[in-house]
Amino acid sequence: MELHILEHSLKVASIEKEGIQICTHGLMKLAFLASKTRCKFFSLTETPEDYTIIVDEEGFKELPQSDLISVADATWLALNVVSGGGNASSSQPIGVTKIAKSVIAPLADHNISVFMLSTYQTDFILVRERDLPMVMHTLSSEFTLLRVVNGETVAAHDLGVTNGFVKPKLVPRPIIHPLSSPSNMFCVTSLDPDTLPSVATLLMDVMFYSGGSKELGTSSEDSSHIRFFSFSLIEGYISLVMDEQTAQRFPNNVLFTSASGELWKMVRIGGQPLGFDECGIVAQISEPLATADIPAYYISTFKFDHALVRERLTAVGCLEKTSKHGSVV
Amino acid sequence: MSGSKPDILWSPHHPDRYVICDSELGLYRIGPVGGTETKPGTLPLSEETAATLLAINSDTPYMKCVAWYPKHEPECLLAVGQANGRVVLTSLGQSHNSTCKELVGKEFVPKHARQCNTLAWNPVDNNLLAAGLDKHRADFSVLIWDISSKFAPETSVAAEKIRISTVDLDSSMVVTKPLYELGQNDACLSLCWLFRDPKLLLAGMHRNLAIFDLRNTSQKMFVNTKAIQGVTVDPHFHDRVASFFEGQVAIWDLRKFEKPVLTLTEQSKPLTKVAWCPTRTGLLATLTRDSNVIRLYDMQHTPTPIGDETEPTIIERSVQPCESQIGSFAWHPSSQNRMVVVSATNRVMTDFTVFERISLAWSSTTSLMWACGRHLYDCAEDSAEGAESTVEKDIATKMRERAQSRYGHDTLQVWRNHLLAGGNDPQLKSLWYDLSYILYVSHMKQCAEDMELKLQGNKQSLVYSGIKNIIRTSSGTTESRRCWIGSDRQTDVPRFSSEERCLALRLCGWISRGPDIDVETFLRSLEQEREWERAAAIALFNLDIRRAIQILNKGATMEKGDLNLNVVAMALSGYTDEKSSLWREMCSSLRLQLKNPYLCIMFAFLTSEPGAYDGVLYESSVAVRDRVAFACMFLSDAQLPHYIDKLTNEMKEAGNLEGILLTGLTKDGVDLMESFVDRTGDVQTASFCTLKGSPGEVLKDPRVQCWIENYRNLLDAWRFWHKRAEFDILRGKLDPSSKPLAQVFVSCNFCGKSISYSCSAMPHQGRGFSQYGVSGSPTKSKVTSCPGCRKPLPRCALCLMNMGTPVSSCSGPGKSDEKVDLTRENKLSQFNNWFTWCHNCRHGGHAGHMLSWFRDHTECPVSACTCKCMQLDTTGNLVPADSS
Repeated sequence: MELHILEHSLKVASIEKEGIQICTHGLMKLAFLASKTRCKFFSLTETPEDYTIIVDEEGFKELPQSDLISVADATWLALNVVSGGGNASSSQPIGVTKIAKSVIAPLADHNISVFMLSTYQTDFILVRERDLPMVMHTLSSEFTLLRVVNGETVAAHDLGVTNGFVKPKLVPRPIIHPLSSPSNMFCVTSLDPDTLPSVATLLMDVMFYSGGSKELGTSSEDSSHIRFFSFSLIEGYISLVMDEQTAQRFPNNVLFTSASGELWKMVRIGGQPLGFDECGIVAQISEPLATADIPAYYISTFKFDHALVRERLTAVGCLEKTSKHGSVV
Repeated sequence: MSGSKPDILWSPHHPDRYVICDSELGLYRIGPVGGTETKPGTLPLSEETAATLLAINSDTPYMKCVAWYPKHEPECLLAVGQANGRVVLTSLGQSHNSTCKELVGKEFVPKHARQCNTLAWNPVDNNLLAAGLDKHRADFSVLIWDISSKFAPETSVAAEKIRISTVDLDSSMVVTKPLYELGQNDACLSLCWLFRDPKLLLAGMHRNLAIFDLRNTSQKMFVNTKAIQGVTVDPHFHDRVASFFEGQVAIWDLRKFEKPVLTLTEQSKPLTKVAWCPTRTGLLATLTRDSNVIRLYDMQHTPTPIGDETEPTIIERSVQPCESQIGSFAWHPSSQNRMVVVSATNRVMTDFTVFERISLAWSSTTSLMWACGRHLYDCAEDSAEGAESTVEKDIATKMRERAQSRYGHDTLQVWRNHLLAGGNDPQLKSLWYDLSYILYVSHMKQCAEDMELKLQGNKQSLVYSGIKNIIRTSSGTTESRRCWIGSDRQTDVPRFSSEERCLALRLCGWISRGPDIDVETFLRSLEQEREWERAAAIALFNLDIRRAIQILNKGATMEKGDLNLNVVAMALSGYTDEKSSLWREMCSSLRLQLKNPYLCIMFAFLTSEPGAYDGVLYESSVAVRDRVAFACMFLSDAQLPHYIDKLTNEMKEAGNLEGILLTGLTKDGVDLMESFVDRTGDVQTASFCTLKGSPGEVLKDPRVQCWIENYRNLLDAWRFWHKRAEFDILRGKLDPSSKPLAQVFVSCNFCGKSISYSCSAMPHQGRGFSQYGVSGSPTKSKVTSCPGCRKPLPRCALCLMNMGTPVSSCSGPGKSDEKVDLTRENKLSQFNNWFTWCHNCRHGGHAGHMLSWFRDHTECPVSACTCKCMQLDTTGNLVPADSS
């Protein structure tokens, strides 16, 4: 298998809900007018708490400076697993499940903090730039490491760091953060970039005006509903994560999903904001799911993590077994 | 292609049909304007062609790419790739074919919805359709569907893993199981099947170009690159592939797939289409976004004489088929260099033929050849020998013809050279007569027979220096007034004479010898040449009106004579020197209406005041020699040099060869010749006449050397090698300094001395041997041994005989028997016996043997030597064009 180290230098930022107005210009440019910027990696995820932005350095220039924007001080690099070869196995597990054992667990064992972003097309594992030598050393046994330089893929060389490794602790990892599961269902979808202009107003409404009166009404109806929407435009590919109700607002045939709908249940991880230094959170969730071969998406945001799972009951049961807190709310 | 971006596809079987796809599919037929102009709904595509819309298909929304089924039946079946990754088979126009009905409407659905980027039908196994899709996680991006497959969605595939629904579709029309799945975890942007094997598929993946082999799908050959869009195989060169990335096109050779063999210059805007021309090798057309030009790259390999493959030469140019911005284009499958272009908006179509670059070549023999497309045009000079030929022949042709007729080589009767040149150029005639007189006069002096002309040594070269200089040295001019001959009337016309003026008159050809001006001989010769007017004028200038009238009468009465000459004779006879007579008045005005310049100047002379002969002197159609002779007779010492100077400058400026009479072959003459060569390019005449009539100083002029060298090069280019050799011989005679010294000689392998007799002193050892009475004559050198050391010369590789030629006359002790020997040997020293050897492998032999060997062989005759000696000699295969 190949592990591609992408060339984007990424910033992770959080915009307060009330700060969204000052950023809309820049965000719209990044989302809908990508050809006017040099940005190649942009992701916007709305949670009830804030908006999380993952953007490369070129895109970061489009955002204003404000007290309402907090930026994680590290520069992140995105890793992407490519299972090369055309072996015929047609039913590959989806999402983080596939890479839980090969990437996420070894990184957790080496105390490397990761930030996950699943999209319709692939899963990105974000690591701090300063951790890269360690990451490469950890994963070089399992993967062919390739680095993208100016759009061309070249072999990456182990940076030769051999000292100062913490011996991996191969201990069981219980889930230490409380889990909760909102009642609404989500879909992970995409659309043709050429049709983006035709749904741009709808997307703007969903992205920036969710806090309107209509939304307040619905939230009072069902308190366990969660406001969650994710848009990403990475290397020309669009990925959308939204709940069922939002998806229904799109015209037919625009989204790459069909009427039967493949809906996913969300599991939110964390009671307190998780911060960026703790390691092993993704591993705690993904390992048991991988053991049970349950497909899952995983989206980290500035404050909390979110896993999307298909079979709710099995998945939740599986997670409850390893959770310190017992039941999932 | 969605909405704004149209594309064009030509029908694989009907050269007059194509499909435009934008938001819908439109089938058009292209035809001549005349045939379709009456029908409504035809769209003009060009001045000659128009298109008719045959059918529209708007059943398929969200089209991303279209591919035309390559089989004959059903003829209008198209595969459409959609934004959600489904591939639908659809058709245009009516087709009642059962296979068609079976196929139309069939859908091929990938597991996960994502954009279908490209489609490609297998060119051999037409049931196979390859679809390239965007990336979706670990799914495959290249799916190869079998359109004859009748499988319903396979139930064995875990239902929840299929992200599509088949509820709303007739299940028999939906295929979800591709025949092959390739390119896992990747995106596919472009696809094409390789011609060299129909099982090979070239795909532009996310960051690499990959070649998949259907016989072993777990293996792929790939190269990392950004240029992954629009992969397309050159139909004329199956290993050559083009792909692009943004503004840059990369050309690949599949045999050396590691990196592009070349990348074309980057364009500022991203490319949208790249296509090889199907009717012309190595022509690639590219289109960029928002552009109204199509850029063409002509990639040709030019073989060098050595035969090694060199970097391809690329000729880049742009064509503008229409005013508007181009949406897409498609080469016509069979019409040469033809394409249809569709505009970016409003579906405006243009039928356009790229005009082929013209390559042009002059041959050394003035014929011109050019190639355009598949046509080769040969343009030769009109060789019709008609005297009425309206266009003058090119100077190169003239020179070539003159070289063949040995122009310039008549050294005895120099004036005859103008006949060799064709005899119809008055300037050349004048020139060669000038040279002839100059050489005659100087010859006379050299012989010193003619005491009257025996001038001082310093005046020797005066003959060469032209009348201008002769006149300048003039002294002791005597003035005389003479009577009209045959009348006792005294003329008031003063005539001047001196030794120099007399010499000048001789150079002009009026008189041949003697101090007396006796032009009778000259007049006779003119009469013979039927130059009546000229003869009459010259007779008149010699104050012999009676003779002039007689000549005119003769001219009028001759066969085909001009009767008007009688009238002129009558007018002449009425001459009176009375200043105010009616005759004088009428003649001076009416003479201007006379066509013949000589008749005109006759009356000008008779009506002029003495000393004011502008009417004669500046009549430019009168030969220079006659005007100069006239001036020498009638202009005073004050007027004459002034007039001659003026005339000389005029001649020099015009490059008129008649002026050589004035300048001689001095530096002035070279100046004149320079402007003549500038005007005509006739280096042949310039070379010969400077060689012939010049003292050494002039020959050293770099201009003269340049003409001579150029003339020699011309002869070489015409392959007139024998002529060139003759010219060199002539040159060596006339200009001994031009003879090159021997710089190369063949040296003996043993003693290192030259093997030619003339270069080596006779060996001393030989004399020693003879003292001891050794049999045979030791001094008698064998031709096959070195004259220096007597060791044998190398053997011929073919006949294995020792070589040797008596290259120069033996400077032996002069024994009679040796001389006899030599004559015999001289017969042997033909070219066939010459030494030749290859400078590369150093093998060789007798020239004749080598020539006959290489007539049938390419490799060296020495066994185990693979040197292609003759091919290394680029001129070795040429034959002289003048077999003399």
